[in-house]
Amino acid sequence: MKANPTDVLTGIYYIDGDVAAGYGALAAGCKLVAGYPITPSTEAFEAMCRKGPQVGTVFIQMEDEFGSISAVLGAVWSGVKSMTITSGPGYSLMMESIGFGAMLETPFVLLNIQRGGPSTGVPTKTGQADMMQSRWGSHGDYELIAISPDSPQEMFDYTIKAFNLAEKYRCPVMIMSDECVGHMTEKVVIPEADKIEIEPRRFYKGPPEEYLPFSPDPDLVPKIAKAGDGLGLYITGRVHDERGYPVKNEEFKAKYVRRLVDKIRLNKDKIIELKEESTDDADVVVVSYGISSRVAVKGVEIARQKGIKVGALRLVTVWPFPDEKIIDLAKKVKAFVVPEINYGQIVFDVARCCHGQANVVLIPHGGAGVHNPLDISDAIESAAKEDKKIEGVVEFKTRLEKIVFERGLKLKE
Amino acid sequence: MNSIISAFSKGIEKSGIDRKKISMPSDVPFNPDVVKALGVDYFQIPRGRAIAFGTGLKLGNPSLKVVPVAGDLMTLGGNHFVHGARRNMELLIICVNSFVYKKIAGKPIPSTQSAFSPYSTFEEPFNFPHLGNSCGAIYTARWTALHTEELADSVAEALHKHGLSVIEVLAPGPNYYTDIDSIELELLKFYHENSTIKNNEDPKNVAIVPDEKIIVGKFTDKERPTFIDSYNVQHSKILGDKFTPHGGKNG
Repeated sequence: MKANPTDVLTGIYYIDGDVAAGYGALAAGCKLVAGYPITPSTEAFEAMCRKGPQVGTVFIQMEDEFGSISAVLGAVWSGVKSMTITSGPGYSLMMESIGFGAMLETPFVLLNIQRGGPSTGVPTKTGQADMMQSRWGSHGDYELIAISPDSPQEMFDYTIKAFNLAEKYRCPVMIMSDECVGHMTEKVVIPEADKIEIEPRRFYKGPPEEYLPFSPDPDLVPKIAKAGDGLGLYITGRVHDERGYPVKNEEFKAKYVRRLVDKIRLNKDKIIELKEESTDDADVVVVSYGISSRVAVKGVEIARQKGIKVGALRLVTVWPFPDEKIIDLAKKVKAFVVPEINYGQIVFDVARCCHGQANVVLIPHGGAGVHNPLDISDAIESAAKEDKKIEGVVEFKTRLEKIVFERGLKLKE
Repeated sequence: MNSIISAFSKGIEKSGIDRKKISMPSDVPFNPDVVKALGVDYFQIPRGRAIAFGTGLKLGNPSLKVVPVAGDLMTLGGNHFVHGARRNMELLIICVNSFVYKKIAGKPIPSTQSAFSPYSTFEEPFNFPHLGNSCGAIYTARWTALHTEELADSVAEALHKHGLSVIEVLAPGPNYYTDIDSIELELLKFYHENSTIKNNEDPKNVAIVPDEKIIVGKFTDKERPTFIDSYNVQHSKILGDKFTPHGGKNG
């Protein structure tokens, strides 16, 4: 299905990543955005508040993030596409209803412009430390999809993709961006509506008396309905059977919760998008996502000038994790180098998939800034020279860490 | 609880509204058979989020009649209630208040007799109608589980109101009590002896106070623009032809 022309703000823009994501949501047909402003995600909400009323998208500033995400879920069950936008502290509040959304198999999109944490952290500067929270933040077993764009153009493109994936797999989709990409201003091309592919909602169209809201199609995803259609919906966050009715014995739990996990895991091949470059004959592969993958480009370039065979693997889709790709590469390469703006999150999943066949090097960063590309090239160089197999994750000592911990940090008055 | 559900169902009947258009987000777990009998769409949502979830349902499809049945209304859902009333979101909130009184030494004192307050309650309850009224609700009423006819009439009336309505229902919460039969009977007797109907009473005078009669009735019934009305007026004024009003007159 093609996008609706009235929803698409076709043109060439010079805008930041936040605004581009907002325009992407409108193009995807998002008809309700509920949010509670929080730096550095506010511009995305503002963009939708400004343009939304002109294209029939309703916005509401809710009283808090619990309210925002609850309103989004309500809107989806009323039959429209909906999203919410937040950052660190707001994201923590939303965890309750992310699990609820996953349990109800509710297609919705959450844009998280990550900032420095923990807690209030550094509100105006970048971070990538919510990656594990996006996967494991709500209680119980569930799977969802997380995407990490690295430019304003991608913020537009992948917000549309996030909506499409949400509809296709009836699950929450997280756009795990960060302050740098959110506030980066670049050229963004918004094409004509007929160039934009939109996944329609999988509405049930059979006889009302036969509708089972959680009875899956062969791809493990059930058809959805909306309130007010006379289907007598019984929808609950309790473990439920195909009718939606609560069940509590272990056999039922094994059957119904299993599918929430399997519908993503068994469709991984169709969901995951990676960008891979020169990995065929590489000694070292840099695995990165979001803003770190843009910084890594320079680090890789410097290392190549030194004659090192280095490839790059960019995780556009971070969750579900591309286990098979890493397992496959681990058989061929000497080491993986993982720069991320945290003290080790995705790197542990890389190590998990390596099974000790390749070394794994973390280039940490505490946030409020991005990596120095020279650190990345140095880490690549030392990983390429290392002949020993080293167990676990090796932490690379960055220039910043050396300054802070070896020379000492003098507090300014 | 059963008497409230049948009064609710009777209220829908009296209102003449199509049951299929009614959505009931609630943090109270309802039996599937009860929901089926009511003929509405039911969503059991995380505790306290009924009003926020209902806000999304209403904004997404303004032709729906959304009736959040709230258990944890003023605890987890307090902020949603206060802001829902302020923005006059079109919702009919049914707040089941399981606040229970018991006679000790001849005086009625508040007592929830739950596992969480084995030595009786000592905290003051909210005055819901007053709170709702002062935050901007356009319709407030209170009934007990005994006043089923009045409750049904209130539901029928409030379903036709444009804005946030709140009906507080005093009822024992069966899940919390070990000896439900005796408590329910004792409590219904208590409601019978200790409640008095005062329609149009100023909501600030209807607090539930030990040793005084519980005042029930309809307290607030007024009109003011709903969230969707104001949203449409504001954007039409500024954007003119570029703006298509949301939801027609159903807001």
